[in-house]
Amino acid sequence: MRAAIMNRASLHFVLAALVAIALPLFMRSGTLASEVLIFAMAAAACNLLLGYTGLLSFGQGIFFGLGSYAAGLTLLHTSLPLGVALVLAAIAGAVVATGVGWLSIRRQGVYFVMLTLAFSQFFYFLAYTFKDITGGDNGLLNIPRPAIGPFSLGGSWAYYAFVAVLFLLVFAALQRVASSTFGRTLLAVRDNEERARAIGFPVRNFKITAFAISGAVTGLAGALHALLIGVAPLSNIEYHMSESILIMTIIGGTGNLFASVLGAGFYVIVSDLLSSIWPRWLLLLGGLLIVVALFMQKGLWGLLERLVEALPMGRKSSIKSSIESPIPPESEGRGI
Amino acid sequence: MIYLFQLVNGIGLGMLYFLLAVGLSIIFGLLHFVNFAHGAFYLLGAYLVYDLTERGLNFWAALLVAPIIVAGLAALTESVLLRRIYHLPHTFHILVTVGLALMVQELVIILWGPVGGNVSTPGALSGVLILGDFIYPQYRLFVIGLTLVLAIGLWWLLEGTRLGAVVRAGSESIDMVSLLGIDIVRVNTAVFALGAGLAGLAGALAAPIRGVEPFMGVEALGIAFVVVVIGGMGSYTGALIAGLLVGIVQSIMTTLWPEGARLMIYLGMGLVILTMPRGLLGRA
Repeated sequence: MRAAIMNRASLHFVLAALVAIALPLFMRSGTLASEVLIFAMAAAACNLLLGYTGLLSFGQGIFFGLGSYAAGLTLLHTSLPLGVALVLAAIAGAVVATGVGWLSIRRQGVYFVMLTLAFSQFFYFLAYTFKDITGGDNGLLNIPRPAIGPFSLGGSWAYYAFVAVLFLLVFAALQRVASSTFGRTLLAVRDNEERARAIGFPVRNFKITAFAISGAVTGLAGALHALLIGVAPLSNIEYHMSESILIMTIIGGTGNLFASVLGAGFYVIVSDLLSSIWPRWLLLLGGLLIVVALFMQKGLWGLLERLVEALPMGRKSSIKSSIESPIPPESEGRGI
Repeated sequence: MIYLFQLVNGIGLGMLYFLLAVGLSIIFGLLHFVNFAHGAFYLLGAYLVYDLTERGLNFWAALLVAPIIVAGLAALTESVLLRRIYHLPHTFHILVTVGLALMVQELVIILWGPVGGNVSTPGALSGVLILGDFIYPQYRLFVIGLTLVLAIGLWWLLEGTRLGAVVRAGSESIDMVSLLGIDIVRVNTAVFALGAGLAGLAGALAAPIRGVEPFMGVEALGIAFVVVVIGGMGSYTGALIAGLLVGIVQSIMTTLWPEGARLMIYLGMGLVILTMPRGLLGRA
């Protein structure tokens, strides 16, 4: 039964909420805690493509960076409120993701992956070339962080609270998408695209829609990141941003959306710890990636699942878990 | 005259791109393996030439030794690690090779620092060729000549030798080839090492032109992908045509719009995908 409980969306949302509550209790830096949740959004959006649709996108940095620029430009050059800047960032992410998705899914498999990577290079050079708009190497500097109505977001924990609310809203929304008919169909596309097409699903449109949703969320995350650090740096649209978001997603595991929160948390916190000790910690990360591919294909979530399975109490019930049956409500408490 | 200069520049650059991409293309054709560490081999080739010449080794010797070391390292990686993951889905190929590329990049920074450096052009070729109004650096002409010879040699290797026949047959059906009694495991290692060695050589040849820096591997990977996407995966001729096309477009654009030169090659790729989703000469 445990496995069945572990797969419940409601559990994942409770876990995500627990993370949002626990971060301030265990972390000293509000900036770092905000960063965890911001990248958790980006990784969950990446997971919607990779885990649910089977699309390995090396272009997530495009949407993240564009979100940063869109929010930064709006707040620097207009007097529009913060909320509008965030919505514009999400729209920018969604629009560009639709375009990139539309072009990239013309090819499948490896070609698709190579195309997304090439597009991420394209947008990087685009941002680099138009220095007047993006600030080039220096990035967009001095992005303000205006108050939301009566609430000032100046303090790092005040901003964290704002990010945490948005994170939970986005997480719940992504869960709704994943459990909807649309989300179920994405799984069908992932598992057998030809059959899904033969049944009559407009597979292309579904993939492009998945891209648009992913792009919107990633754009929002990018905007929140720019507001967090007060800069929209060129590195937010670089290849390495796409790579990092992908790595977080894969290290977490692609089976469910909460796995991405785990992956982002692990990546952000470990990189913060290690980079202060040894700047070249990416070397270890590269090694970890190989280990995950060889021995931990379900990621950190898979590890957590094995841990729960191995808990001493009620070992027998784990055998039954292979039978997919609805869980009687009274057994819910025991499994966790 | 400036356009002729840039055209010749573009041919040189394009031949380097061909050298870089053809290995990626052959490896994919035979092994159906996506190598995201391909740019790392280019990076290593460039840094080995940089290191060996800094240590006082003759440039020509470094140019010979660097690709051989890269090929050796690639053969080792293939037989220790990559061979075990061929049967896994592409996602895991990408994961492992992205991890490898990251490790190589960080190792390069640990060994040689984050800044990079310059490799001086070998003495015999540091001058320029003067033909009337046309003045051109000798080293770049040498690069064009050498890569042409290599391209012909590679073509002969693929079309005219037993190894080439095995590679082409293996691209069609690797099971059939191994049933015929050919030691496909060794062929795989050899092809992987050859592809990586060519990327290493491209890096080594490029080093005196563009210098070395730790992130040139990522850039090279992006360009190799563009060449392969335009030319069609697994196609020797496609890689040659697309490599030259990309090199020439980039060079000519350097005159017209310097900041946007690299932007244009990705834009060109987008156009090809729109009009010819399979690339110029792609099969599948």
